[in-house]
Amino acid sequence: MVDAPANLPNYRYVSRKRRTKEDRRFVSGRGKFVADVEVPGMKHVAILPSPHARANIISIDTSAALALPGVHYVLTGDELGEATSSLFHGLDLPNVIWHPLAVGMTRYAGEWVAAVVADSRYIAEDAAELIEVEYESLPAAVDSEKMIDEDQPLVHPAHGTNVLFRKTWEWGPVADDFASMPNTVSYRARWGRSSTVPIETFGVVAKWDDVNEIMDVWASIQMPQYQDQIAAALRIPMNQVRVHNDVDVGGSYGVKRGIKHTVLVTYLTKKLGFPVRFIEDRLDNMSGGDAHGPDRIFDITMAFDDEGVIKSMKIRALDDVGAYPGRAPLQLGKPMTALCGPYRINSIEYEAISVTSNKTGQVPVRGFGQSPTNFAIETGLERVAKHLGLDRIEVRARNLVRKDEFPWKIPPGSIYDSGDFHAVLDGIIKTSNWDDLVARRDALRAKGRLAGVGIATCLEPGGGNNIFEFLFNPKLEITTFVESVLMKVEPTGAITAVMCTTTSGQGHETLVSTIAGEELERDPDTIRVLHGDSLEALPTRSPVASRMAIVLGTATSKAARDIKSKMITIAAHDLGVEKDQIEYADGEFTVRGNPASKLTWAEICHIAHKQFHRMPPGHELGLQAYAVQQVPGAGGLPDENNEVPLYPCFSFQAHVPLVEIDPDTGKVKVHDYFIGHDCGTAINPDIVRGMIIGGVAHGIGAALYEKFEYDADGQLLAGTFVDYLLPSAHEIPPVVDSEHCTPSPLTSLGQKGSGEGGYLGAPAAIASAVNDALAPFDIEINELPIRARDIEAALYEKTR
Amino acid sequence: MKAAAFDYVRASSVDEICRLLADAGDEERKIIAGGQTLVPLMAMRMARPDMLIDINDVAELAGINDHGDHVSFGAGTRQRAIERSDIVSDRLPLVAKAVRNVGHQQTRNRGTIGGSIVHGDPSAELPMAALALEATMILRAVSGETEMPIDGFFEAAMVTNIEPEQLLTEIRIPVWQDARIGTGFHETSSRQGDFAIVAAAAQVALAEDGKVTRAAISVGGAAPSPVKLHGLEAALIGKSADGFQDIIALVDEEIDAETDVHATAEYRRRVTRKLVSRAIDDAIAEAGK
Repeated sequence: MVDAPANLPNYRYVSRKRRTKEDRRFVSGRGKFVADVEVPGMKHVAILPSPHARANIISIDTSAALALPGVHYVLTGDELGEATSSLFHGLDLPNVIWHPLAVGMTRYAGEWVAAVVADSRYIAEDAAELIEVEYESLPAAVDSEKMIDEDQPLVHPAHGTNVLFRKTWEWGPVADDFASMPNTVSYRARWGRSSTVPIETFGVVAKWDDVNEIMDVWASIQMPQYQDQIAAALRIPMNQVRVHNDVDVGGSYGVKRGIKHTVLVTYLTKKLGFPVRFIEDRLDNMSGGDAHGPDRIFDITMAFDDEGVIKSMKIRALDDVGAYPGRAPLQLGKPMTALCGPYRINSIEYEAISVTSNKTGQVPVRGFGQSPTNFAIETGLERVAKHLGLDRIEVRARNLVRKDEFPWKIPPGSIYDSGDFHAVLDGIIKTSNWDDLVARRDALRAKGRLAGVGIATCLEPGGGNNIFEFLFNPKLEITTFVESVLMKVEPTGAITAVMCTTTSGQGHETLVSTIAGEELERDPDTIRVLHGDSLEALPTRSPVASRMAIVLGTATSKAARDIKSKMITIAAHDLGVEKDQIEYADGEFTVRGNPASKLTWAEICHIAHKQFHRMPPGHELGLQAYAVQQVPGAGGLPDENNEVPLYPCFSFQAHVPLVEIDPDTGKVKVHDYFIGHDCGTAINPDIVRGMIIGGVAHGIGAALYEKFEYDADGQLLAGTFVDYLLPSAHEIPPVVDSEHCTPSPLTSLGQKGSGEGGYLGAPAAIASAVNDALAPFDIEINELPIRARDIEAALYEKTR
Repeated sequence: MKAAAFDYVRASSVDEICRLLADAGDEERKIIAGGQTLVPLMAMRMARPDMLIDINDVAELAGINDHGDHVSFGAGTRQRAIERSDIVSDRLPLVAKAVRNVGHQQTRNRGTIGGSIVHGDPSAELPMAALALEATMILRAVSGETEMPIDGFFEAAMVTNIEPEQLLTEIRIPVWQDARIGTGFHETSSRQGDFAIVAAAAQVALAEDGKVTRAAISVGGAAPSPVKLHGLEAALIGKSADGFQDIIALVDEEIDAETDVHATAEYRRRVTRKLVSRAIDDAIAEAGK
């Protein structure tokens, strides 16, 4: 990878290949993860899960568990449900009550029924085995397609139906566009129930101090409004909750949302008077952690002309969020942000249906619903090409928004800020030596193997302006996803920046220090970045939605520019000139045209902190600035047509893999993987590259391996890593990337988001390659993950 | 995922182990060597022995020795040692091919041949190879030493015919003395290093005219236990490289495939035929060189 694209300004630090700030502590084993948090007197929690997908709880006998030496308490749902408020749902669902422990009824196999607090996790697990629960097992609701019309067992009887949300939007003249087009294709695309499954499970430690009335929380968390939700559930003021944001989060990409874990543990510490810790083990995490991802069926029709130019589409998306919805149904809303991908589509009908089932709950996963949607759209592009007998790349090129058309508004209202999609697509055709890949594919085929080359594009919305929530729940009238930074320069000149949220591997310390260093012309390695706790912090909505480079990055620029302006003011006053006569470069403030008349960085810091007599009259002492940054280009509610600009910045990628399939076993091997990407100004190229390659691995998992499979009775069949298959290094090919840079006009340095694109494009690209391999047999598989047995069975049916 | 409480003894001799097993009474006492299977099972409390008897210090339980007509393996011999053994690659090429498919290098560093066989996983590679080649197992107890043929040892998935007081001390795998021998091993798994969905092992001896004079064939993953395909072995005698496809269907009669989260029974049946066919192809081709 090149150091920086040639068209960039001459940055010193930004876009330069520099070591990331966080690596030192991770490589030397000095990260502080939640399981490293030791609070004196801390006790340990183990959970008793329900073995039934759906059952009434008749009775719970905890006496034997309580009698075990070392056991301090056994908590059940009746007590916790009384003492705490229902957890938050994104939808307005007053009759869907959610507590950390089941109350009266269990709604999925693995749901927590009781929690034991003991001197050690070993003893707690011993005691959990001694709890006797009498259940009345009931039939379970498992098949999402049956939830709408068929009589199914009710997951939440008080809600009256298993449909949580169903609404159809129409943007633009859909009927007219369909009538005007000579061709349509209709197809189904299915996204299997997978997720992000980090090596570090969720964990939380809480300590209630009843003298100072403060709840300290250390958690492996990545969630907006975490402290708000803790306070609401416990019915205490928010300033009694202190979330420590300096806990390193060992992987997340959306799923570290342990609010029920946290309410359980904070309730226990408040009740029992000693610190309490709960670290999920793998079994807790997979079946009871409520960390599954989207489980979605798309039925789509596209209308297009004889050249393959798509004019309109109708999308129906049915998503199974499991037993407790939380924010999961809103994952049908985020894809509105880029509902037609990078393509120039004139009108869209979108029906979103969210259903509940007797399965483990769903949480936000990387892209917040965008990856399944992108897979579904790209499947359509493949179908259009096939229908007309056109080249797959050519069909995409004919539909992509052109570089002279930005800013480009799509039917639901998003405004694509900038891009050169054709350059990225052309670039990856060159980088991948497309014709050579096709020749290799054909050589493999000549040897009796199946082989295919895939192509997919994806648009990555970044910035996290969640106004789509309002379209799902008018009570969520939220029009900002704010981010903040506080920056200060010490008397000696050293710079400290305080950010206000946790980090789960995105390298925010590198982000903030690089941008601050660039703006102030100071070495980023000398800039300290702290994670302020939730009481010290300025407003934040957490690092979700590919938004930190955009919003935190712009906030950092603003704060740094404010600092610089203050220093120039001090210099001008001290040197007896006007502000506009001061030039700043390399740590020196010089009077224009008079190089001898200058002050150094250190001298101004000294003045600001210690020399009142040299300060401009009325000027604030010290050198500090804070910036609270609104999401750029956002802020309004939807108009009368339900149109609203959603996320502000749009990154683009094109993916090209080559796969080989064993014709006898159906096993897929990914040989090569090429990506062209454009996320505007890359603050740190290695971090961008890491995000992309990790995203590809994540996407290959969703495409070929990962699924939380359930049987017809609602039992989870993939609750360990023996059965839930994460791709390992063996399954991930070398990834070759080519970098492009179309800066965003909306951010301080032209940066955009980059955390999701690899994952948004890879599933579609792998499916494209597999289906290319199967095309000679007239087989198409549009259900992920595509497993060896699916391919083998399809081949067997065709050739028997 | 914390194991239930257990006692732990680090044994220093085979006699001590046998005494501990004999004295178990109502207790469940389990041997631990590499722990690659037992430890996760204990963590999930699917196994909860009262006592673990650690055999890692017992030197006589490890080692590979060539006895001419067979090679002996101490039960505690690491899979990685088998993988790197010249004796194995020279004398038991089928075992050499099989062991490369066992887990990952990291797990092979700890996992043992004896643990793999006694555990009885239906898709484990070393039991398959040992079964194909008609290994003999040496079982010790306080009451004395017993020799047991491996055919019949595997009872069901994860169930083997070893008595609670018995310790597997040694596995003897016959070395064929035929002039022209070839082997083949094929497996398919979801990911590299996973347990086989289906695996097939074949060893053949050929006459001068290229016809099969002797065949050893087994499959794993295709049934609740590894299966030696006696019918196919017999039918293969007298066949040559291009003349055995018509008898491959015999495989179906000898396996009892099941459906699980990784594959359907139909998949296993069809893929078993294909992989057995590939293994025989390789074996005949190698023997003909």
